[in-house]
Amino acid sequence: MTPEELEAFKAAFEMHQAMNVEVFYWWCTAIMFMIHAGFLAYEIGASRVKNALASGMKNILTLAVVVPTFYFFGWWIYNAFPGGLIPIDASGALPWAASMGPDVSDMGTGIFWAAFAMFGATTGSILSGAVIERIRMSAYLILTIVVGSGVWILAGAWGWHPDGWLLLDLGYHDVGASGVVHAIAGFFALGVLINLGPRLGKFVDGKAMAIVPHNLPMALIGLMMIIVGFFGFLGGCIIFNGGETGWTTIYGNPTNLSAFAFNTLMGFAGGVIGAYLSSREPFMTMSGGLAGIITVAAGLDLYYPGLTFFLAVVGGISMPIVGKFVEKCGIDDAVGAVAVHGWCGFLGVVLVGVFASGYPSVPEGAPDITFFGQLLGAVVMCVTGFVPGYGISLLLKKMNMLRVPAKAEAAGLDLVEIPAIPYPERVPSRDIIEGTVPADAAGLPANGVLGS
Amino acid sequence: MDTSPIDSWEGVGAYFTFADQPGVVAFLCGLAVVTFVGFMYALIKHENDAFDKHEG
Repeated sequence: MTPEELEAFKAAFEMHQAMNVEVFYWWCTAIMFMIHAGFLAYEIGASRVKNALASGMKNILTLAVVVPTFYFFGWWIYNAFPGGLIPIDASGALPWAASMGPDVSDMGTGIFWAAFAMFGATTGSILSGAVIERIRMSAYLILTIVVGSGVWILAGAWGWHPDGWLLLDLGYHDVGASGVVHAIAGFFALGVLINLGPRLGKFVDGKAMAIVPHNLPMALIGLMMIIVGFFGFLGGCIIFNGGETGWTTIYGNPTNLSAFAFNTLMGFAGGVIGAYLSSREPFMTMSGGLAGIITVAAGLDLYYPGLTFFLAVVGGISMPIVGKFVEKCGIDDAVGAVAVHGWCGFLGVVLVGVFASGYPSVPEGAPDITFFGQLLGAVVMCVTGFVPGYGISLLLKKMNMLRVPAKAEAAGLDLVEIPAIPYPERVPSRDIIEGTVPADAAGLPANGVLGS
Repeated sequence: MDTSPIDSWEGVGAYFTFADQPGVVAFLCGLAVVTFVGFMYALIKHENDAFDKHEG
């Protein structure tokens, strides 16, 4: 082989390697859409029939608002704030930069931007489920933009960037985004829920009532679809490098998809079993799959799968208990987002400190993984999520922009603001609400509220 | 409308429409932002109208 031929082969190999990188993240992004299809089904199912379409509309619009705002400023935040709250030069990530559009010489920015935008939309969808049936659509979308294109990616710059201060100063390790996505979104949702208040009829004389899903099978299928989407999500958390490096985590340490495969599946199974043990209830049991994966996601590259299974069982067992505690505090989290994402995300980051201390960090001068570093990092995530969620929802509440009017809430949001009917050929909620069909004739409680 | 920033595909970098005209790119970016804000305004208006109508 002549030197010229060798050079040509090398160039062809490098081009194909770059194309493979693009192909990998392209399909991760596509699979991540399944998360949103799942949230769509899950939240429609979890709503009462009178709010089915309004809940679905929130999910559809979540993607539509996070994608452009993540283009306008989200990607810039990730690149500008790894050191804290003072921006560094990241002009290449501004929306008018050459790399933020079709560019033959840049085969990375677009696909990474897309994957990160999907992570952002996931944080919005986590909020979405918690606040169904009484939040104003506009308030929800404003809050979604804040968390999906602002807060989570700021936390991502700190804890999920090669130069992030949490990594460089604390050795923070959160490979599958237990903290930067799930704890952030869960605690953001908690802050919003405190100001939003419970649904009408949720608490009677201080006692929590069960507001049952109108279509539990659809909610269960939606949850399983979210699990499918997690394979795209977690695939997007691994770095497909060119050259001889191969797979690394976002922190630069070597790993591979086999490691992720072992622990994702064991995490799912452990979470389901744990939630079954503590609830025996199908919605919680299926949510346990999410709880299990989130509990082990931060250490997905490091854990022995047997340990992963055990930790996921702990996450699955504790999740319904935390959910009940949140309810006892008078907070109406309609789908358990605070417990599944907030608690399990927090727990996931801390558990890396308990079970994976001593693993070295790659950046020069960065400390090893420590319990203290992980605990502090987890607290940073919770506070960074909670404070803007609480503060901005409080502002919206003061402006009377947070919650729908009580009369509209009682009637159902589909009837009031959605120009469509979800189930026109069955006994519709409209007729029950308007009194043309007695509730008992339809075999349903008039407001969907059952005593617990 | 000739929007192409290139004359040939040899050695091309950024080749999207108006890539060689930063002012136009900035304007279009601003247009996208304004359109998005307009969507939010329309959504809030629809919501308020719907609630007002329902309140009677």
